Amino acid sequence: MIRYLIKNNFKLMLRNKAILAAMLIGPILVIAMLSSAFEDMMASYESTEEFKTGYRISEDSIFSGNMEEIKRAGKEAGIVFENYPDGDPKAIMEQNDLAGFLVIEGETYTVYESADYETQGKILEYFMGQVEKQVSGQIRNSMFPKEEKEITLPVQKLEFMPAVDSKDYYGIIEVVYFIWCGVVSVAGVLNSEKRNGISQRFQISGMSEMGLYLARWVPAVLTTVCETVVTVLLTVALFGISWGNNPLTILVLLVTTMGAMAVGLLLYSVFQNLAVTIVALFTLVWFMGFFGGSFETYMFSTVSDSLKNLSPIYHVNRVLVEYSCMGKSDYTVSSILYMVAITVVCTALTIFINTIRKRGKA
Amino acid sequence: MEEVILKTGNLTKKYGSQTVVDGLNIEIKRGEIFGLLGPNGAGKSTTMNMLCSITRPTAGTIELFGKNSEKHKKEVIRRIGYIPQELAIHGKLKAWENVELFTSLYGIKGENLRRAVEESLEYVGLSERRNEFAKNFSGGMKRRLNIACAIGHQPELLIFDEPTVGIDPQSRNFILEKIKESNKNGATVIYTSHYMEEVEAICTRIAIMDNGKMIACGTSKELKQMVAGESEDITLEEVFLTLTGKKLRDYAE
Repeated sequence: MIRYLIKNNFKLMLRNKAILAAMLIGPILVIAMLSSAFEDMMASYESTEEFKTGYRISEDSIFSGNMEEIKRAGKEAGIVFENYPDGDPKAIMEQNDLAGFLVIEGETYTVYESADYETQGKILEYFMGQVEKQVSGQIRNSMFPKEEKEITLPVQKLEFMPAVDSKDYYGIIEVVYFIWCGVVSVAGVLNSEKRNGISQRFQISGMSEMGLYLARWVPAVLTTVCETVVTVLLTVALFGISWGNNPLTILVLLVTTMGAMAVGLLLYSVFQNLAVTIVALFTLVWFMGFFGGSFETYMFSTVSDSLKNLSPIYHVNRVLVEYSCMGKSDYTVSSILYMVAITVVCTALTIFINTIRKRGKA
Repeated sequence: MEEVILKTGNLTKKYGSQTVVDGLNIEIKRGEIFGLLGPNGAGKSTTMNMLCSITRPTAGTIELFGKNSEKHKKEVIRRIGYIPQELAIHGKLKAWENVELFTSLYGIKGENLRRAVEESLEYVGLSERRNEFAKNFSGGMKRRLNIACAIGHQPELLIFDEPTVGIDPQSRNFILEKIKESNKNGATVIYTSHYMEEVEAICTRIAIMDNGKMIACGTSKELKQMVAGESEDITLEEVFLTLTGKKLRDYAE
């Protein structure tokens, strides 16, 4: 019966005090040690005062109907748009000490950034990325109207993310990062099974590969969920980190844990060596975190949007940060679907690899 | 006519060009304690692994309880209790938790599982220590716990792979007595060991393997007669050395 195996594997994981402590204290220590560094990193964007940006827009541009709203929202985000219908953008930027210049033609736009205003350039890029996303959404909706046939692009209020507190941003992000490393909690079970030749007992009992997989995955998820709950409470109590009040936060954290454990177990089934698995996992998580805003904030990072979107950590980070500061997020569905897909695919692959390996050994 | 519980037909296992088990034919009847002897690298462990469906034979057949073990794998392996040579227990689980975990793998649950755990611990004399972590046990206690983990589902065929390695005489004697007791209670036993006196003391029949082949099989008395004629003034160890030679065997099994 698999429940007894799950129960005892869960006990084994909870009795591995060193790993448990590392997973609990790790994120708290990182947040405590780096909080001032996080503050400085975020301040480099937040303390930026209002800055000027030139723009030029062609009449046929899909953004033309929205320009006034874009200017209004820009003002809210600290960007003052000034119209320069003619001339070379670079020369205009130099002459007028502008941080950037926006050229909007047809369906595309180009952002010119001044080397003297690097941070402001990133803010402008992020701002326009948000505008593009929202305007595209409005176009998609108006392309398929229920009754009206004319395409209209109504000027609607553009929403921008309010400023995120650095401790909230990095507090949330570090907890997510550690969840991805959570598979080390299975180390106690895997080590003991390997060292003691326990897999032979499983083989003799005729236990299915699916059963064996679940007997590791379920307690790993449970253990990491327990660790995460304690860590989240500690981040609130010790650092006053706000996780927002959206109950979906719990679901997002749960599916993230499920996906992260599935990835970890897949890596173990590939490498069959705990040390190599942990190194591979940490490397993978580092890259996903690098693209996903674990180090540089995802809002102003230099990473391209396509790379960001590839990183599951980006989706989860974004949802949780937006829940924290806005109470809602457009990334909820994508992050949940992404993590569920990762769970299903990694589970299927792990079972497949283990079955093939067992047949090969026999 | 006594029921044949295990029968192999030309059982063969090859790893690449190396033949580890070579056309083995064994027949074990219900109620026997069958000893399997052989020097290192003789093919004993591979044979055991094939009997337990851990390793698939390259050729030949295994019939367990009258059924082809390949075709009826799930059904037959649940009637076997395998006590591996290495201690297959979790050090960070308590004695009863180890027994519960490994007994539950055979589909036993609830009250039946609780009873099976208690009986198994009682059987190996560890009831009093049921709440202690296995890592704190002595070598002999770990060996006994290793046995308890394999008998909770009340198997009809018990396979012991060198169960007395590295333990004190008291624990060894206890284990041997328990094997005899299990046999009296109806279990058939396959037993491998390098300790000849143990094998001679408990086994009803003994097979000697070398280079993957069975080179002799019979009762202790028959094996002695085979080597020394009617005099029988010879130990089982001398029989073993005469049949397998005195040359050192440094194979890894």
